[in-house]
Amino acid sequence: MRYVLLTVIIVVAGDRPATAGPPRDAAAAIDRLFQAAWDREEVTPAVPAQDAEYFRRLYLDLAGRIPAVSEIRDLLADESTDKRLRVVDKLLDSPASVRHFTTSLRNAFIPQANSQPQFRALIPGFEAWLWQRISEGQPYNQIVHDIITTELNVSAGPALLSTTSPDAFFVVRELKPENLASGTARAFLGVRLDCAQCHDHPFDRWSQRQFWNMAAFYSGFTRSADDDADNPVMMQNMTEKTDVRSIGIPGTEDVVPAVYLTGLEPDWEDGSTTPRQKLANWVVDSENPYFAKMAVNRLWAQFFGRGIVDPVDDFSENNPASHPEVLDLLAEEFINSDYDVKHIVKVITATDVYQLSSIQTHASQEESSHFARATLRGLTPEQFFDSTAEAVGYYQPYRSDNPFVVDMNSPRAQFLDLFRNNVESPLERETTILQALAMMNGNFIDNATSVDDSQTLRAIAEFPAMSDEQKLDTLFLSVLSRRPSKSERRRFGDYLLSGGASENPKSALADVFWVLLNSSEFLLNH
Amino acid sequence: MPRTLSRRNAGKYTGLSLLGAAASGWLPGIAAQAAQSESKTHRNCILLWMSGGPSQIETFDPKEGHENGGPTKAIDTSVPGVQISENLPQTARVMDRLAVIRSMSTKEGDHSRATYFMHTGYLPQGPIRYPTVGSFLSKELLDEECDLPAFVSVNPFQAFSPAAYGPGFLGPARSPLVVASQMTGQAEDTQQVSFEVSNLKRSKRVTRAQADARLKLLSSLEHDFLKLRPGGPGRSHVQSYQQAIRMMESGAVDAFNLDGEDDMLRDAYGRNPFGQGCLLARRLVETGVSFVEVNLSSADGAGGGAGWDTHQDNFGAVNALCGVLDPAYATLISDLQQRGLLDETLVVWMGEFGRTPKINDNTGRDHWPRSWSTVLAGAGIKMGQTYGSTSDDGTEVTNDPMTVQNLMATVCRALDLDHEMTNYSNVGRPVPLADHGSAPVQLLLS
Repeated sequence: MRYVLLTVIIVVAGDRPATAGPPRDAAAAIDRLFQAAWDREEVTPAVPAQDAEYFRRLYLDLAGRIPAVSEIRDLLADESTDKRLRVVDKLLDSPASVRHFTTSLRNAFIPQANSQPQFRALIPGFEAWLWQRISEGQPYNQIVHDIITTELNVSAGPALLSTTSPDAFFVVRELKPENLASGTARAFLGVRLDCAQCHDHPFDRWSQRQFWNMAAFYSGFTRSADDDADNPVMMQNMTEKTDVRSIGIPGTEDVVPAVYLTGLEPDWEDGSTTPRQKLANWVVDSENPYFAKMAVNRLWAQFFGRGIVDPVDDFSENNPASHPEVLDLLAEEFINSDYDVKHIVKVITATDVYQLSSIQTHASQEESSHFARATLRGLTPEQFFDSTAEAVGYYQPYRSDNPFVVDMNSPRAQFLDLFRNNVESPLERETTILQALAMMNGNFIDNATSVDDSQTLRAIAEFPAMSDEQKLDTLFLSVLSRRPSKSERRRFGDYLLSGGASENPKSALADVFWVLLNSSEFLLNH
Repeated sequence: MPRTLSRRNAGKYTGLSLLGAAASGWLPGIAAQAAQSESKTHRNCILLWMSGGPSQIETFDPKEGHENGGPTKAIDTSVPGVQISENLPQTARVMDRLAVIRSMSTKEGDHSRATYFMHTGYLPQGPIRYPTVGSFLSKELLDEECDLPAFVSVNPFQAFSPAAYGPGFLGPARSPLVVASQMTGQAEDTQQVSFEVSNLKRSKRVTRAQADARLKLLSSLEHDFLKLRPGGPGRSHVQSYQQAIRMMESGAVDAFNLDGEDDMLRDAYGRNPFGQGCLLARRLVETGVSFVEVNLSSADGAGGGAGWDTHQDNFGAVNALCGVLDPAYATLISDLQQRGLLDETLVVWMGEFGRTPKINDNTGRDHWPRSWSTVLAGAGIKMGQTYGSTSDDGTEVTNDPMTVQNLMATVCRALDLDHEMTNYSNVGRPVPLADHGSAPVQLLLS
């Protein structure tokens, strides 16, 4: 009886194959599960997405940006039947994809670095560390294990900041056992313990004691008495004792030992293992009821804008999964593939459900938890800027040998600041007035849509062999990754033909470019 | 509450036209409906936020004669028997317009948690993202006919707790319009403080006709795309563009330009970002903005910092900060009153906590949430009084302890709002404006 609670919760159990099968088999199984659910709930799914719609979505989800105009042209011209699968393989090996997954995991593991300015400086070191592991294809369980067990040079204080290391995970939680316990539970297990810190969780089963049982694994950190508690980044003179395995609950006389969330007590008999190593072993154990499910659920959300459990980091009895069998299946695939993120991505992108159109054809598609159409969803600030840069042909210096230079005055940094969206779900994204003003009137877009300053626009405007129709095509492909519809061709074509409001064909092109960049079709994933 | 249409709902009825936003007839139907439902007077709120935690003893609760009082003297005010610190001589003269609460008492001595608590009325707990006070009050108070956003925040210092300044579960549509002060002018003695909303002006390269043509094309593109793809993000995108365009086209943005104000009045407010920010707050309220937050965090007035966090040299630092606060605050109160705006405008003065009555070894005062002061003035408030008191040494509240929840409920009541009115949170639970169990303090209400 190792894991007392597991027998109730876990579905993945017993004999299983050592390796995962081909992605398309799992994808087909997932599609059957969705079809059954739609039948049961009388849902009519949307039609399959056209190529252009699919490729734009795939690039955003996988590479973090829209396709370049040359890429989308080639893909649309390609007549082979397996082109959708091939481009997934190609993108998975691309630097853009490594970068996008790095940003996603960083957001999940150290969200404080986004929300709290004093932790921004930690981003490059943490990303560089993640980036290296993701580009090497290191299994996900190993990455998480390495984070929890990383050797911290705690006495060095601020030196932590400049290193390529996962130390930021600890620094943003101020090396406090309680913050580390809730952070570990939330980032890696999708369990929100936060409320249980002060009292038994009001609407979940976690007790205050269980919370502090988890915190006890991190109880070795001690802060020197003269430390400046107001300035958590400057953690100096910290020490870590690896033989401390219990912690006092503040405001009480209780001292509680380190116990896993499942109720199991660690076996300390083997001697050399530190509390953090014990915790890491338990977190990534294939028998852990949360770890694999949480990971695949977050990946799912990256491709659909919402998790099968949503919010993605809120696994609880009061927040049931919309399609639990799908989650079980993906978790099993993940474990069997040795925690290979790429395998799960190949499964998800091969499903029909991922390849549905965003056009709503039936009222039953409105509820996003049915996954019966591709719902409109916000881009991350990074996706948005990188897509804008792609569309307007802006050269981003970070793409060269050092991808993690932080320049707070760069257009990218300014966009990230402005478009950081304080909503939990991309399905709830809201545009702010300041964002609208920046897109309409700001320098960056103004220059990008000026025939004098924009290389992209000038290249199109002054290319002699291009007809107006081809110019319009190029603008649409550059920004919206599709060709104009018949009615758009007429409407925008007439505008170009007439020379537009300033009766100047080049200005008219600039106007069209501006319009496309300001559209919700460009700003959103769909 | 009687408001029939919030801005969020309004979008459902406006269609997707952006050109309409540029034209003068902005949402005539909606405006008419809003006007019909308007039977009560309009109330607004100005929050003067003292980032870092101001010392109560050097401001509104002096302890002259006790060793904890330090060198700070108490002075008489326009209300017989009520004394405040000598650092606030002009404020003392408008004491009859103020209600000083000397019995604030909380348990939060951490900048981040306390800033969140005072800004939202709730302690940070788990996954619920509580909205900042400006967001949830402006949502209820907003004037549909005002061309400016309902919530403007001047020079906020957000580093302690960014979430304390955000719209939380109410969503980005309730975000403040953040404006920063700038110094313009060549030499130091000719420098002026000015305020600007970024990117409000159309590019010089774009003609009026071009801009209209662009919006017309954009409207058609949005219409075609979104009619087939309903959903919140698309709707929000169009609504924000409508609001942004409305603001660009409106004369209301003149409120941000202080040049037309009388020089003597500008001097009286103080020629610094906080002083001019208070003047801006008055102008915005006049224009119909429902909630304005103005931050004071350093004596030279620059945006950043937490100047009230006086662990060292408390007396010098607070004196300097009061040199900025006092003229601005007193002038704001009398200016609002002279214009007949004080009856409809609640002015709240507060920080995240007070300072230790005991003076530390660095002649500083540390964080102290147990007994400290906040001040209310204006709309709905029974002015010219103190509420609650502290012991001679300042370490205990001796009567009428005031919780943050009750303060929030009192603020709601003063603004003619039901503090038990609820919004739906991101975790699906109804959340009242002021926390469950809170009640407005009747003695503070007129």
